[in-house]
Amino acid sequence: MHPQLQLLVALQDMEEMIREVEEKGDELEGMGFKHGGLEDLRKAREDVASQVDPRHMSWYRRLTGKFGHAVVPVVNNLCTGCFNNIPSSFVSKTNVNKVQKCESCGRILYWP
Amino acid sequence: MNIGEVLNHTSPALFLPDLQATDKQGILTELVEGLISGTDIHNADTIMAMLQSRENLGSTAVGPGIAFPHGRTLAVQKLTILMARSAAGVDFDSEDGDPTHLFFVLIAPPQDRDHRYIKSLAALIDRAQDADLRTKLMEAEDYDAFCAAMREE
Repeated sequence: MHPQLQLLVALQDMEEMIREVEEKGDELEGMGFKHGGLEDLRKAREDVASQVDPRHMSWYRRLTGKFGHAVVPVVNNLCTGCFNNIPSSFVSKTNVNKVQKCESCGRILYWP
Repeated sequence: MNIGEVLNHTSPALFLPDLQATDKQGILTELVEGLISGTDIHNADTIMAMLQSRENLGSTAVGPGIAFPHGRTLAVQKLTILMARSAAGVDFDSEDGDPTHLFFVLIAPPQDRDHRYIKSLAALIDRAQDADLRTKLMEAEDYDAFCAAMREE
């Protein structure tokens, strides 16, 4: 996987975790989980974000604001954001070292 | 959500009855390796990063001798549950300081918007309060016996 895509996936997973604590923290703490490391997680998120190329970060922020999730998995050759077909050329050797965007909706594509 | 529904998200390939690692990092590595070998999930690094972030947030060893590593990641397409056991037990940063022997790993995709995995987590934690059950889980000979003990009420 392209190192920049790996960073973007890690960033989105971290932001999902932070959002979960913000939205469901009381419920999770009722189960016994503690979230004392939340500030450290926010700092770790900023550290990861600082490693992302500014151009990719700009895409990521714009797409997150528009769709909620900037990076989406490709399943059965479909972008799971807009369900448009992803050409097989996107996974060719030529493109494997690029951060790919869906030609239809613009979301960043991830092959799980 | 009942335990039967929760167990629909696991399989014999996602049962590790004899973990060998002796520390938390090693256990996390074994758990992720188990997820990769027992499913069509590929991206071990992404899952490991997520589980480590979750442990840094606060230990998931919240049951007596039991941990529930969990979280959402793009690396999976559906809720996936791995069950594992360490006879010796390991220090998993539990609040009571006791070793952790049983592990229930719950990994969900980001689009699990009805929080199905949190409901599964709640059901497992509730079930794990039963001390007799924990003994049976440590003694279960195989996956079927382990699941049968989980289903007993």
